[in-house]
Amino acid sequence: MSSPKKEKKKEKKKKNKEEAISTRRVFANTAFVLKILWKTSPVYLVTYYLWTIGNAILNFFTNTYLLRYLLNCYSDGSSGITKAFIYLGVVLGLNLIWYFFIDYLRLLVHPKYTQRIVANIEELLFDKAGKVELACYEDPAFYDKYVRSMTDCYGKCMNVIYTIDNMLWSFISLVTNGALLFSIDARLMIFAFFPLLLGLVSRKRNKIVHEFDRKRDPIDRKINYVQRTFYLAEYAKEMRLGGIWRAMLEKQKAAWLSYKKLIADYGWAKGGCKFLLNIGQEVVCVLGAMLYAVYCTVVQGSMSMADCLVILQSVGSISGLLTDFVAQLADCHKNALYIEDMRYFIDYDPALKSGTEPLPEEGNIRFCNVDFSYAGAETPSLSGVNLTIRRGEKIALVGRNGSGKSTLVKLLLRLYDPTAGEILQAQTPLKTLDLDAYRAQYGVVFQDFKLFSLSVAENVLMRPYTEADEATVVEALKKSGAWEKVSAMPHGIHTILTREFDDEGVNLSGGEAQKVALARIFAHPSACIIVDEPSSALDPIAEYQLFENLLTEAAGKTLIFISHRLSSAVLSDRVIYMENGRIAEEGAHRTLMEQNGAYAELFRKQAENYKLTPQKGGEAE
Amino acid sequence: MKKDKKEDKDKVKQSPAKVFSNGWKMFRLVAKYLPSYPFFMVLDGVLWGLLNAAVAIFTIRLFNELDKSDVSFASLALVIGIMAVFYVIAYFFDAWYWDYYNTTLFQKLQYRMQKDLYEKARSMDLACYDDPAFYNDYVFAMDQARNKAWELTEGIGKIINRLVASTAILSYMATMNGWIALMIFAFAVLSFFLGVAIDKLYYKGNLAEQPMHRKNSYVNRQFHLADGAKEMRTGRISENLVAMYEENVDELVKTRVKFRKKILPFDVFWSLIDSVLPIAIGAVSFLFLIRGEVALGGFAGMVTSLWQVRWLIYNLMERLKKFPEQSLYFEKYLTFLNKEPAIRSGDKEPGEFESLVFEDVSFAYPFGEEKEVLSHINFRVEKGERVALVGYNGAGKTTLTKLIMRLYDPSSGRILYNGEDIRTLKLEAYREKIGTVFQDFKIFAASLAENVLHGPYDGEEATAERVKEALAQATFGEELAKLPHGVDTELTKEFCEDGVNLSGGESQKVAIARIFAKPYELIIMDEPSSALDPMAEYQLNHTILDGASQDGRTVIFISHRLSTTRMADRIYLFANGCLAEQGSHEELMALGGKYDEMFTLQAEKYRDKEADEA
Repeated sequence: MSSPKKEKKKEKKKKNKEEAISTRRVFANTAFVLKILWKTSPVYLVTYYLWTIGNAILNFFTNTYLLRYLLNCYSDGSSGITKAFIYLGVVLGLNLIWYFFIDYLRLLVHPKYTQRIVANIEELLFDKAGKVELACYEDPAFYDKYVRSMTDCYGKCMNVIYTIDNMLWSFISLVTNGALLFSIDARLMIFAFFPLLLGLVSRKRNKIVHEFDRKRDPIDRKINYVQRTFYLAEYAKEMRLGGIWRAMLEKQKAAWLSYKKLIADYGWAKGGCKFLLNIGQEVVCVLGAMLYAVYCTVVQGSMSMADCLVILQSVGSISGLLTDFVAQLADCHKNALYIEDMRYFIDYDPALKSGTEPLPEEGNIRFCNVDFSYAGAETPSLSGVNLTIRRGEKIALVGRNGSGKSTLVKLLLRLYDPTAGEILQAQTPLKTLDLDAYRAQYGVVFQDFKLFSLSVAENVLMRPYTEADEATVVEALKKSGAWEKVSAMPHGIHTILTREFDDEGVNLSGGEAQKVALARIFAHPSACIIVDEPSSALDPIAEYQLFENLLTEAAGKTLIFISHRLSSAVLSDRVIYMENGRIAEEGAHRTLMEQNGAYAELFRKQAENYKLTPQKGGEAE
Repeated sequence: MKKDKKEDKDKVKQSPAKVFSNGWKMFRLVAKYLPSYPFFMVLDGVLWGLLNAAVAIFTIRLFNELDKSDVSFASLALVIGIMAVFYVIAYFFDAWYWDYYNTTLFQKLQYRMQKDLYEKARSMDLACYDDPAFYNDYVFAMDQARNKAWELTEGIGKIINRLVASTAILSYMATMNGWIALMIFAFAVLSFFLGVAIDKLYYKGNLAEQPMHRKNSYVNRQFHLADGAKEMRTGRISENLVAMYEENVDELVKTRVKFRKKILPFDVFWSLIDSVLPIAIGAVSFLFLIRGEVALGGFAGMVTSLWQVRWLIYNLMERLKKFPEQSLYFEKYLTFLNKEPAIRSGDKEPGEFESLVFEDVSFAYPFGEEKEVLSHINFRVEKGERVALVGYNGAGKTTLTKLIMRLYDPSSGRILYNGEDIRTLKLEAYREKIGTVFQDFKIFAASLAENVLHGPYDGEEATAERVKEALAQATFGEELAKLPHGVDTELTKEFCEDGVNLSGGESQKVAIARIFAKPYELIIMDEPSSALDPMAEYQLNHTILDGASQDGRTVIFISHRLSTTRMADRIYLFANGCLAEQGSHEELMALGGKYDEMFTLQAEKYRDKEADEA
């Protein structure tokens, strides 16, 4: 009787992580998870473990002990028969009561809590995620931890719970079965504990398997990649033209060959260890104990047949339980490692902190000698930037790719703090200002803007929608040129964007998406509008209309726009031309053209092809 | 990346005969790829089945012997010894088979299967990708080929094992007492059917929860993916997301509680069977023992193997239950393998490029919208010409290039290469005549050289030179000098730690270098400079066009930046799938039509300025 009702055991194979962590930390992390569960629902936590403890105890009396009892009754003769049936009746009754109780717990009580537990864990992380500064996304080590802790955090927390559960089960079964064996013949303990010696072999095997898996990982990645190139639509055209598919096939073949070699290198060692383990367990342990028991029964006569049968049953399960228990200790360690990532993230103190000063009423923004480098980058993205942005100014930020335009905007929004120098609003350093209030002044559309799988209205407002907002949203969509499309959608501004999880959702094309994103700045009563490459996905007519709307909307407000198309720079009050992280030229379009510097050269190059006749304009200033 | 594809999986029911025939076909396929595999699989199943049964039978025999009054220790030790030998042989085979032989074979099986699948995949028409039903099946077939073949073959081995073991144990018991054997069998079967019913209910419940889980995991992703991080910080959109999440959790709890309540009666019944029947079987066996109808060994054997038999039969049925699913998969796999491509190669060898003619070509994508993407297109490209295709998004320009490459065939009309219908030409050879850069080109996780050559790289000095030259022509020279391993640099970090991820503009240059790496006579470029900054765009367009025309190459390029297309000898303006205007820049401007309007709009800002300066 070896396979009791124990469905909740869930075994997940996880990749091994090789990081050291102190035993204290293992306890602390385990306690951390238990605390979250306790806070969410003490009832759940307590009954969950109660279930296991009850199961383990009952299992002993229904299996091993029952058999022994019946056999002893049998040898007692007729007086034992009544006893045997009383025992059977009692066990049956207990089983029924217990199972009904568990059914009640599992199906009526626990479902109320499980999803709440998930939510509490995830919300803890969400809350933190909003506060972590953007720079963390660029630190691969941090970001890895971050993603690891966010993905399947519930599963990882539950693994802690499951492992404790499994250990409880193993422990109780060990104690009950062990005590029985001990009471029969203390020498039997030798056989039961023999597997501990086998632990050495099993460690060796784990090491080999681990190494094998580690080496196999990159090979698998290659094979999977090649497979994707053959079936994903995005590669389909190129796989049909040219010979790149041959290169891919060669890669695949090489990968399979190295896999084959890997198997040849490790297969025998792996198999050898497994063989030793199995023989140790089944032959030495179980059959050895059996031989001993039979000897005691037949030759010495010191053992009853009932006990002999118990031994046959228990020695195997005890040695199995012991092996399990050792493995579960290792699991504890592994789980704690995952939790470590999560806790690191939760305990992380954002470097970019909100200040407390209220926002100054008015005032220009001033960059004073600002330097900035992204973490790990060798060259600074901005160096020695001095700039004053006056209220109500229309500024065009231009320059080649990588000249620092977008970075400048990110610093302005305080998504990053400068590496050196300072940014001030009306003489107050940004660091001392209330962060949310400061950012709320801006209406921004990024180049790589993102639409969420929420309603159009929410995507425009970027905050929860109330009915009072309807006019604002419609107006904003009209101004950005998206209204025509949105009004034709099945649910108007309440249409959910993307088909992520709504079959009636609408997928927008690049240009349409950009228009919806642009509506954000029209919906938001911001003092300063920032638009990064507003027209890259728009066709010329849409671009033209957009600029007109932007300028009307921005009357009296500050407008900063970044663009590749210098034609738009003409419309600005001031052009800031950036080169290699510095402000190279600055001034009105006209002035810069007269200076005849780098900006003027770039402008002419772009304009060249649009000239009506080659003679007109050009170099003649 | 893509949404769930498995939801409608078990809606299609298959008849047992179909399932059986599909299973047999798949088995034969595996045997075709690996002749020795089925033999070992069956051997493994039988051997372990016998071993499992032997343990139970061993217990019975041992206790029967033990119960005899004149038992000798030697005979008992012999029984144990035989068992030990049996174990050693089985475990030795097990270790060798599973850790070495099977893995090697399976590795071979996967490789051979994949190779055939890939060949097939490449020959499929691009149109298949537009048919969502086919594409889903196709991706599924490709994605699962390895695992399913494994599941099936391993499954058959295990089924043999369970069958052998349970039959052996039960029939041995039946020789001792038929009633108890029957009870054990009934117990196992009953548990199974009840288990299936409960599983179904759980499945239904999970299905109902599915959309909500999807929503929640979406919210979770928004909080850790980098692409929305800026918006999350500059707006209050996180409040919307958390509100959505909260609402969802409440919904989830409600749904779950509702479904669990439905499961309750079944589960109570299950508990009843699970606690009453084993004890009842124990009690009945005990009665037989007392009455002397069963020997002690028989009693011990029955009680100990009760759970084992239950598990064996339960598992056997569980595996059989999976067969229809596997058969369905195999059906998809076969459909895919048997599908004939519509675009077939002709047999004429294409000559050097002279001219390309569209003769009244119309085209509608075979799936999705029935609207014609191109209608009645007529035009002609002569050797050495530089042709620009312009027009708004969705005007049909990109489709036209796909027709030229014969990724699709026209719905009506003909495309002539040197006066011959391209359908009569050898497909691979024809495609090799033309160098193409698509708008949505891909950089492959391979070396830079392989990416430029768009094929295997032999590492020869001359080839490397050719690659370098091509890169220089695509204005990638400066970037190349900075790369650590030159043209051998691995691109993307897909499977190389120190691989290089190129920026959008750089990738585009590498893609463009492809057309310089081979002496193509006809070059097609779709939006070649969209990711470049104005300066780079300017340089690149000059290089490509000047370079190409010096070599006498023919260039067809697509762009919606009219400043670029202006350099072309001939411009074709597409609107709504029709060829609206054609001519040189000057001619079209003089025409005063759509082109003039578009150009004027784009140029306006620059021209205003010039007027100011003048």
